[in-house]
Amino acid sequence: MSKRKQRIADAVIFVVLLAGGLTMLVPFLWMISTSFKEPGSLFDLPIQLWPEKLHWENYQRVLTAVPFARWYFNSLVLALGLTFLNLTSGALAGYAFARFSWKGKDAMFLVSLITLMIPAHVLIIPLFIIMSRLGWIDTYYALILPGLFDAFAIFLMRQNFISLPRELEEAALIDGASPWQIYWKVALPLAAPALATLGTFTFLAGWNAFLWPLIATNSIGMRPLTVGLAVFNTQFTTEWTVLMAGLSLATIPPIIVFLAAQKYFIRGLTLGSLKG
Amino acid sequence: MSSYRRFPWLFILPSLVGFFAFNAGPILISLLLSFTRWDVFDPLNLQAVVDSWAGLENYRTMAADPVLHKAFWNTLYYVLVAVPLEIFISLMVALGLNRDFPGVKIVRTLYLLPTVTSVVAVGLLWRWVLNPYVGPVNLALRWIGQRLEALFQGTSLSVPASVHWLATQGPGWLSDPHWAMPGIILAAVWAGIGFRMLIFLAGLQNIDKTYYEAASLDGAGPWRQFWDVTLPLLSPTVFLNTLLALIGGFQVFGLIYVMTGGGPLDATNVLLFYLYQKAFGIFPPDMGYASAIAWLLFAFLFVLTVVQWQLRKRWVWEEA
Repeated sequence: MSKRKQRIADAVIFVVLLAGGLTMLVPFLWMISTSFKEPGSLFDLPIQLWPEKLHWENYQRVLTAVPFARWYFNSLVLALGLTFLNLTSGALAGYAFARFSWKGKDAMFLVSLITLMIPAHVLIIPLFIIMSRLGWIDTYYALILPGLFDAFAIFLMRQNFISLPRELEEAALIDGASPWQIYWKVALPLAAPALATLGTFTFLAGWNAFLWPLIATNSIGMRPLTVGLAVFNTQFTTEWTVLMAGLSLATIPPIIVFLAAQKYFIRGLTLGSLKG
Repeated sequence: MSSYRRFPWLFILPSLVGFFAFNAGPILISLLLSFTRWDVFDPLNLQAVVDSWAGLENYRTMAADPVLHKAFWNTLYYVLVAVPLEIFISLMVALGLNRDFPGVKIVRTLYLLPTVTSVVAVGLLWRWVLNPYVGPVNLALRWIGQRLEALFQGTSLSVPASVHWLATQGPGWLSDPHWAMPGIILAAVWAGIGFRMLIFLAGLQNIDKTYYEAASLDGAGPWRQFWDVTLPLLSPTVFLNTLLALIGGFQVFGLIYVMTGGGPLDATNVLLFYLYQKAFGIFPPDMGYASAIAWLLFAFLFVLTVVQWQLRKRWVWEEA
């Protein structure tokens, strides 16, 4: 292909890619613009791209009509709690599988990997029954505790601990440190990058979780943001401007966090597809 | 360092408790329930399971349940349209973005925006994007329709009904049984391609550049390089990405819940949504039947994974 043809091809590809990218962006921009429009002005022609006057009352209405701040807080508790639990138990078990040996270890590891094949939807009914018998439905326990065992976290942390050089741990052992001390003081700090990546992934998963929180909560004050928005959107079916204000509040902060910590997010996101 | 030769109770305990209480235990309960007529007010013990034992009744009911059949075909419809679209578009985008040009990072970020947005927000956003009256999609379609209509009016030809339809109303999307599933799929593909693209980009960046240099020396142009170098070397990633997309597709729920609630007329009722309805949307809930649906869905996923795994040998290129 000649240079000229190549440049034209490149230009066409670029334009198509950019158009696709804008398709991703435009609904968000439209959402923000609508959230500032006057309620009831959506049918006006010609369509306003941006309202002449910013109508903050949409935001006022969504913040007073539903416990928005509380939902935000619940989502934060859910995502942080899940992340903490997941990292703690996953790193502990991962270290055990990496550095200890006992009878039946391989079988245990295999069984935990097999659970990765069981989709979450098989668990929701029995989990709901167990949680209601424990009286934990509509509490943070029900939202967070199912993350106590996570085969993926164990697997990832095990791989990470195996890849760490053993010299430092050996030196600590000679100095008379117990395995417990070595884990906390030597191994865990070295695993910080893996923990950060796994943490980002878990946080995202917790923040965006929907099916289980929908089932595990039932009072308006215990809903995380995803469930709150989904269940109460009927309240705003015709009030698009108010709904868009709520959606802006729900999506803009995560996007800002994403933009700021993109590197970790991308590593965390691709983590879900890693083979080993 | 020689490993410690003992069972590390302290390290394993949290995961072990979680495994029995929230994984292995529930899986066993779910399997047992699927063979019972267990009621939510029954105690949760073996005696209650024995008392409400129904054998294969739930599975037999499924065979004759028209809504379940509908949900099954809807799931298949969704998966067979959404997954290929998602894979194809994201592969094209990844190929385009796998190079250096000014602003490439910004364009990549644009594609990732829906990925970091929760599925609920995506669903609500698209309910309005697809609103037949005020949504941008139909506004654009109507604008196009009106331009076309104007074109026809300038000639002696009569305006075709389809153009008139486009100019005056356009698809009813989520409220029209024929357009509801396409509407869901549009939202799903829009939200899904960023993540798929990311995986493809990671795969593309793993391809050794020397292959391209060698191919180029042999006189292979961009097309030949794509077919004979990129595609074979990327095939493991295509395989993985497709498998992940299929597994995710069979478990679509959030978008359906938010955008259509399974309607209209069960046009978007999929297996997982039907399970949810049976277990949590009706009173008294039918936990046994819902559990049986869960295992049916699991069986599909399992068979699908095995079939994919077998087919993999035919088209996935593996380094010797």
